[in-house]
Amino acid sequence: MMLALLLAALPMIFWDQGPETAAALKQNGIEQVLVPAERLPAWKGSGISVRGITPAEWSALEEASAPGVDRQVQVASATRSPYLIANGWRFIRNRSGKYRYALPAGKAPLAVAEAFAYAASAILQLEAADLESAGKMLAFVRALTPADLPGLADIAVIDDQHPLVGEVMNLLARRNLLFTAVPTPNPRLPINIRIGSKEYTEEEAANPSDFALKIRRQLTDDRRSVRIYGSETVLCRLTGDETRIRLHLLNYRGGKVDGLRIRLRGAFRKGQARGDQIREIPLDNFGVSDGSTEFSIPALNMYAIVDLQREK
Amino acid sequence: MPQERSPKIRANSRHSTSLHLHWNKDILNDHDVGIRERTVVKRRTFLQISSAALIGIGNRGSEPAYRVVSAYKTSPQPGMPGPFPGQVVSVCSAKCIDEAKDEVNPAAVRDMMDAGMRQLTGESSALQAWKRFIVPTDIVGIKVNCVGKPKVVSSPEVVAEIVRNLVEVGVKPNQVCIFDRFAERLIEMNYGLHLPKGVQIHGAEASRGSIRYYDPATYVEVDFFGEDDTRSEMIAMISKFTKIINVPNMKDHGAAGVTGCLKNIAYGSFSNMDRSHRFRKTHTYSFVGRLAAVEPVRSRTVLQIMDGLRGVWHGGPFALNPRFVFYPKQMMFGTDPVAIDRLMLGIIEAKRKTEGVVSLWDRTVPEGRDRNDPNVSVYIREPGHIDFASTLGLGVSDLATIKLKEIEA
Repeated sequence: MMLALLLAALPMIFWDQGPETAAALKQNGIEQVLVPAERLPAWKGSGISVRGITPAEWSALEEASAPGVDRQVQVASATRSPYLIANGWRFIRNRSGKYRYALPAGKAPLAVAEAFAYAASAILQLEAADLESAGKMLAFVRALTPADLPGLADIAVIDDQHPLVGEVMNLLARRNLLFTAVPTPNPRLPINIRIGSKEYTEEEAANPSDFALKIRRQLTDDRRSVRIYGSETVLCRLTGDETRIRLHLLNYRGGKVDGLRIRLRGAFRKGQARGDQIREIPLDNFGVSDGSTEFSIPALNMYAIVDLQREK
Repeated sequence: MPQERSPKIRANSRHSTSLHLHWNKDILNDHDVGIRERTVVKRRTFLQISSAALIGIGNRGSEPAYRVVSAYKTSPQPGMPGPFPGQVVSVCSAKCIDEAKDEVNPAAVRDMMDAGMRQLTGESSALQAWKRFIVPTDIVGIKVNCVGKPKVVSSPEVVAEIVRNLVEVGVKPNQVCIFDRFAERLIEMNYGLHLPKGVQIHGAEASRGSIRYYDPATYVEVDFFGEDDTRSEMIAMISKFTKIINVPNMKDHGAAGVTGCLKNIAYGSFSNMDRSHRFRKTHTYSFVGRLAAVEPVRSRTVLQIMDGLRGVWHGGPFALNPRFVFYPKQMMFGTDPVAIDRLMLGIIEAKRKTEGVVSLWDRTVPEGRDRNDPNVSVYIREPGHIDFASTLGLGVSDLATIKLKEIEA
């Protein structure tokens, strides 16, 4: 119960080192951490706000994968699309879930951004080498204007706990096919997927990549809420209401993406974009035509948000 | 919002020729008002092409649905096929390259180019011949090919001779730009060593896959294999050029059959190209011509100078294995990329026949990834892309119709 209350909008850091590292935490802007419960007394008076977490509590959390790209160079494949390891589909599938990341060095800042973008309740166990980069990402997301907007979707996936449904959601997310997980069909969305139905058979779903392509073709690219051009490693989450949207852009590549073109279905007024390392991102070549809005951003490091107002 | 300027990359050059990602401000004067903003203001879709219109006129299988978006109109007299459709001048010279040393003879190249240009135009002097295509106020892009480095590339000596002629016409060196997609290849080539001070060198992609310096308002959209990024955008710098000179090589190409004028200007001017040949059955058959026909590429590419001093008869577009490099010792001149490519295809095919390996036209070649084995291939070659391009009005592919003038320099 205590742990559930702690898990709020911002990801939490699980720090298993001793209080002698308090200065390093503060130096990187981290004022609050979770520590192993047995170490809690040692942290008193350290100047860091700490809460304990027991092994049982940690184990009870749902595991999220270390995000990034698995090049899989040793595997022959029918596609050259990079194999992205991303957790957005988990967070969409179970919005009330509590998650834990056990992160090798180099993965923490993207995990911070990913959990924040999906408003996931998550605890991150990170390596000391990532303290600075994770601290910077936490500072960046903390400074963003809050926008508690619901996720937008083009597709409904009926989550009846079918064993294939998770991987189907994963592949939809990796192809930037925006979906929502629902217990029953949503008549407002053009596509409702129930694995095992006549239209979406188990045989088809057993190949999630081809299945995602089938869904994309059914939806058509013109009706997709978001298209990304210029990168196959940038995944997006779109949130919004009747007046505005916030687009989250997550770059899983591990290096800067130099130039992106983005197409949003609908008409929007030029707004603003902010990113980690590149705080003020210009929206170049902004234009609205044929019921869609397009713009370019010159560079994306790891995470950026784009805030736009809908045209009235 | 002012455009962020990328840093210039200085080439290792005796001169101050610069390799950069943006055109120098002092060259274009009033033109330099920000490519990307300007193109969007003018954004219009001038043509939308459906595959249906072309079914049954020779395309192999079904052509995918292409959507071409461009802010530029077709010129009344587009550069391709230009004033000399179906006409090609081939100039051979035994002296143009020393095979043993692999050294190009610049004087022989000059003779070849003078003869070729005069023969093509019917002018009595090379200067008058060049003036048929270029005026002093032109901003000239020279589309080179560096894929087959170190040997089978647009030779620096050929490029230098082209620039010399442009300067003779009255074009200032800083109105000339050598361009290609990949900056690192231009850095390796170091054309600046051979060029006068002021000539610009532009690589659109400082990092592979970057679309930052492409024009988001000029692109071809097509879904080949279900790839998510379905756009190929034109290099933004091209809109700055008033004329383009295309300088390809004579090369085999594992997917397209051969790569010459058409593929150099098509795949070399747009982003996100390799998606057309990710699987054994490729889409090079139609994509090459579709891209070459996009405005303003089609209208502004006014001259084709094929550098056939060296060639590649297998393993192209690369030239990694010296066994497959040969020496045609010729250059071709024209305005019709289709006609030149059709003749070049014959040269590569003849060389392969001499070497006793499978034909470029053979669609039953066993699949294999060993690039050193000329009798297997990763892809099914599509030399028919040249014929397809002719159906788009880019030139003449019928060998019986092409008029070839052969000269020995």
